[in-house]
Amino acid sequence: MLPYVFKRLLQAVPILLAVAALVFVMFSVIPGDFASTQSSDGRAVIDAEAVARMNTQFGLDEPVHVRFGKYAAKLLTLDLGTSFRTRQPVINSLSERIWPSLQLAMAAMLFAIAFGVPLGFLAALKPGGWLDMQSMVVAVSGLSLPQFWLGLMLMYTFALLLGWFPSFGYGDGNPRYLVLPAVALGVAPLALLARTTRAAVLEVMNADFVRTARAKGNSEVRVMRWHVARNAAVIVLTTLGLQFGSIMGGAVVIEKLFAWPGIGSLLVDSVSLRDIPVVQACILLLVLFFLIVNIVVDVLCALIDPRIKYS
Amino acid sequence: MKFRANLWIGGVLFAAVIVGGTLAPWLAHTDPVMDANLMNAEVPPGSEFWFGTDAQGRDIYSRVLYGARISLTVGIVSQLINTLIGVALGLSAGYWGGWWDDFVNGLTNLMLSIPSLIFALAIMAILQPGLTSLLIALGLTNWSYTCRLSRAATLSIKQQGYVEAARSFGSGNTRIMLKQILPNIAGPIIVIGTLGMGGAVLAEAALSFLGLGIRPPFPSWGSMLSDARDQITTAPWISVFPGLAIFMTVLGLNLLGDGLRDILDPQSQSRRA
Amino acid sequence: MLKKLVFTTALTLAAFSVQNFGAQAQEPRKGGTIRFTAPYAASFVSNDSHVSNQIQDDIYGKALHRSLYNWDSANNKPVLELAKSVEVSADGLVHTFKLRDDALFHNGRKMVADDIIWTFTRLMDGSKSYPAARYVRLLKGAIDVEKGQAKEIAGLRRIDDFTLEMTFTERTEPGFLFNFATTSIYPAKEAQAPDFFNKPIGLGPFKFVEHVPGSRMVFERWEKFYKPGKPYADKLVISPMGEAAARDVAFRNKEIDVSILGPTQYVAYKADPNLSKGILEVAEVFTRNMGMNPGFKPFADKRVRQAINHAIDSELIIKRLVRDKAYRATGWLPLSSPAYDKAMQPYDFNPEKAKKLLTEAGYPDGFEFEWTATPNESWGMPIVEATIPMLAKVGIKVKVKPVEGSALGGIVAKGDFQAYIWSNTSGPDPLTAMKCFHSATPQSACNYTTYKNPAVDKLLDEAGTTGDAVKRLDLVKQANAIVYADAPVWFFNYNKAVLAYQPWLHGLQPNATELALQYFEDLWVDASSPAAK
Repeated sequence: MLPYVFKRLLQAVPILLAVAALVFVMFSVIPGDFASTQSSDGRAVIDAEAVARMNTQFGLDEPVHVRFGKYAAKLLTLDLGTSFRTRQPVINSLSERIWPSLQLAMAAMLFAIAFGVPLGFLAALKPGGWLDMQSMVVAVSGLSLPQFWLGLMLMYTFALLLGWFPSFGYGDGNPRYLVLPAVALGVAPLALLARTTRAAVLEVMNADFVRTARAKGNSEVRVMRWHVARNAAVIVLTTLGLQFGSIMGGAVVIEKLFAWPGIGSLLVDSVSLRDIPVVQACILLLVLFFLIVNIVVDVLCALIDPRIKYS
Repeated sequence: MKFRANLWIGGVLFAAVIVGGTLAPWLAHTDPVMDANLMNAEVPPGSEFWFGTDAQGRDIYSRVLYGARISLTVGIVSQLINTLIGVALGLSAGYWGGWWDDFVNGLTNLMLSIPSLIFALAIMAILQPGLTSLLIALGLTNWSYTCRLSRAATLSIKQQGYVEAARSFGSGNTRIMLKQILPNIAGPIIVIGTLGMGGAVLAEAALSFLGLGIRPPFPSWGSMLSDARDQITTAPWISVFPGLAIFMTVLGLNLLGDGLRDILDPQSQSRRA
Repeated sequence: MLKKLVFTTALTLAAFSVQNFGAQAQEPRKGGTIRFTAPYAASFVSNDSHVSNQIQDDIYGKALHRSLYNWDSANNKPVLELAKSVEVSADGLVHTFKLRDDALFHNGRKMVADDIIWTFTRLMDGSKSYPAARYVRLLKGAIDVEKGQAKEIAGLRRIDDFTLEMTFTERTEPGFLFNFATTSIYPAKEAQAPDFFNKPIGLGPFKFVEHVPGSRMVFERWEKFYKPGKPYADKLVISPMGEAAARDVAFRNKEIDVSILGPTQYVAYKADPNLSKGILEVAEVFTRNMGMNPGFKPFADKRVRQAINHAIDSELIIKRLVRDKAYRATGWLPLSSPAYDKAMQPYDFNPEKAKKLLTEAGYPDGFEFEWTATPNESWGMPIVEATIPMLAKVGIKVKVKPVEGSALGGIVAKGDFQAYIWSNTSGPDPLTAMKCFHSATPQSACNYTTYKNPAVDKLLDEAGTTGDAVKRLDLVKQANAIVYADAPVWFFNYNKAVLAYQPWLHGLQPNATELALQYFEDLWVDASSPAAK
């Protein structure tokens, strides 16, 4: 197992480098630069001379390939550069955001698992039945709502009307602050998970080894618990791993709406301020998260189902 | 074998959107852009304005109808681009194998690892807001599933001997790919395409919220919804109707996709993610 | 119309005096937490106030830092803050400041002249391009430091620890230059420590506790602040919240003490019996306008630009769409400007006249232009959308070019537009504001419409050299009138800023330069606040 994990981690390096190159090329042609964004409030005046000076300071006046060369060289020594806006190392801006971001992503995933998997299971018990219809309608509805809209609705209902949760922000780390953004972010993966679970359970229940188990006289409950659950878990986990990317994407919207201090809101801010080193670092970090989560998922799958072997 | 509720409901919903969008000039009461009358601003739904009016005094019913055109264009065109890219890459990679296959695999992994909304966000920032940019941004970022699927299907078909048979009849490579392999993988691809269309409609709304969608004066549901977010308490109808339109369309597409899968791709209920 | 304007202003003033009266009637209460919001973005730019010239960062700057001057909201002018008095030489170039000897940095060290000298020298570091360099550059010898030819600014001289002499290259009022957070005085030695900005210290009424980027900045009372008895509150939390809808919920939910309102919420809050009690309004020094590029042929003709001013029913847009959260513009200089000319009349809404002017200019069938706009609800796309049908009626077709909020400044400064809609500062100093229409001002600085009129140049030059304040105002007024008639822009409105506050928050001031800039040492919360303990 360990060599496998090591190999997967090694494989992540070229992907990260390719992402770095791609993002770098994309943002080297983006219109506007950091200096000129500073005058957009109509209050501050940044004359052409100041823009030119800032661009020299940030090294933006050099040709793209030179800039990328320098950037890649620094990246290999794990130096992410200096943020244009704070003039501090990018790693400072980033490190403060990682934990809130992970908290939110994990909470959203937990929510999705806690409700999505049982929902899918229940639906699969009597395919075509009333419960099946109900839960699938819920699932598909969850997939059909714009996330920011759902977030706003949750805010109005549970913060303003009912007063159960605070409406915004990170607070002092109290988990109450986490609830609404996590739910808003978790609804879409929940829906997908419910569907996947249903399909997986149905498929496994009709598989030969489950029929055999039934025929051997194992009780229905035992069959469900062992054979079905274990096999379905693998499919569900894989789905979850792939869904992690869309959770990270959705976080961009939800973090902005709820003033949640995560990587997503930092990314949006940095794109609009053209703080390119931070944009690059954010995207690299999100990709790294995604790759690691999927390695973990694969390892878990192998642990759950001994038939899965990695070479 | 039985009545497929999801297929029918989904089909009807989607058809309604297509009809509404196509016939918008005839069904709409007013022009969605020019007929703004500030004296009629924020009129609640009633007999004159079925869905009420927005802050500019424009008829929301008419704007929702015209908005269908944008949402449909975004959904269909971006998904066509995705499908084209995905199938072309996946099919050729599966068929040719070798270094090309490795390359396509690498590219697919790369695309899968960047969250597609973030990729689209970056592209929109570069191209600046607008319909064309949106089509490009959403059309270039969602082909990895299609690509993987086409490649896998191509590999399995290749082993089944059709291809050898066709080649022995003297068919060229392109011909084999188009005539022999493509029809065999069409089912799952249509399913993914349908579901992806729903995703594109939602992505348009999310990008509008981030200030990078398609923008006025022409109405898109996403921008209507996003613009009306400050008025949720004071004039809820401005956002309710475009919100419902998005919901119905995406719901319709999802149900349609599910229904199609049952017919076209019965053996792989669990394959998609 | 005019009467109404004056009346509204009077009302606004009356509202303040009532508020201030209320504040005085009650003894300020010590303790509690002020929960402030910074409404212009989802985060602060930096812990280093010198780096950012965004209002967002100025808001927390008022808590943490002090500059040589401060803005006196009540009298609408800059006043000395870190100095007790200043003497100006006869030629207006040499200013000698008697500094406060009781201003302590948050580590307990007394501020001395060297701290100011070091701060200004830092701002002129040519390799760092600090935004405030454009103010400090007016000091003699500052440019040499910027170019690396000198280590010290020749125009800054320490006479003793609490006496500082400044020599300028031209006649100027330093109060307009040095009252922003970008010129905050840093402790000279301490600020050079590598980790200074992890926990910055300053001279302000509140000490830095923590900054959770994208969420909040937390401060606590600085016991040794130089104004006796102040600040009142124990703690101050400032949350950056750019999303108006989210701010609305948080405010109604009593999670924050203040919120800046947009037009929609303004109406809703005014209509609400409870919320309407806590509304503070001020005519801000921002002019909303559509700039027209004379490089685009139709806009080179003054008659076309005037026609646009006549073709748009600005009054109606202000009333119905902006919900009276603005005052009709009757020139570039706003209501709250000392050079505001009450005699000026707005362009009347007159499509006939517009049509006639267009015909005279050779566009009887109109023309099409591209209009660059951001999503901003008060001076962006929604306004453009409302004008489209109006302009269409006189034959002018509008092609909308949407851009991101942060991209507008760069696009306009480069002249990459046919027309744009923007909100530009038009004060507080009227001469500085009008200089944006001097032909010597480059487009990238603030002459965005490359406006050029020798008569205006002459008036402004004269105003710049005269020592007579009354005459200066008069010259500026004349320049304003000429610019108005030349119509380089569509004169839309002056902003009315609106701040909603909770009933337990006291001591707010109507700051016309920017309503969100408040003096935290004057604010206090009474016992009814949920965060009163």
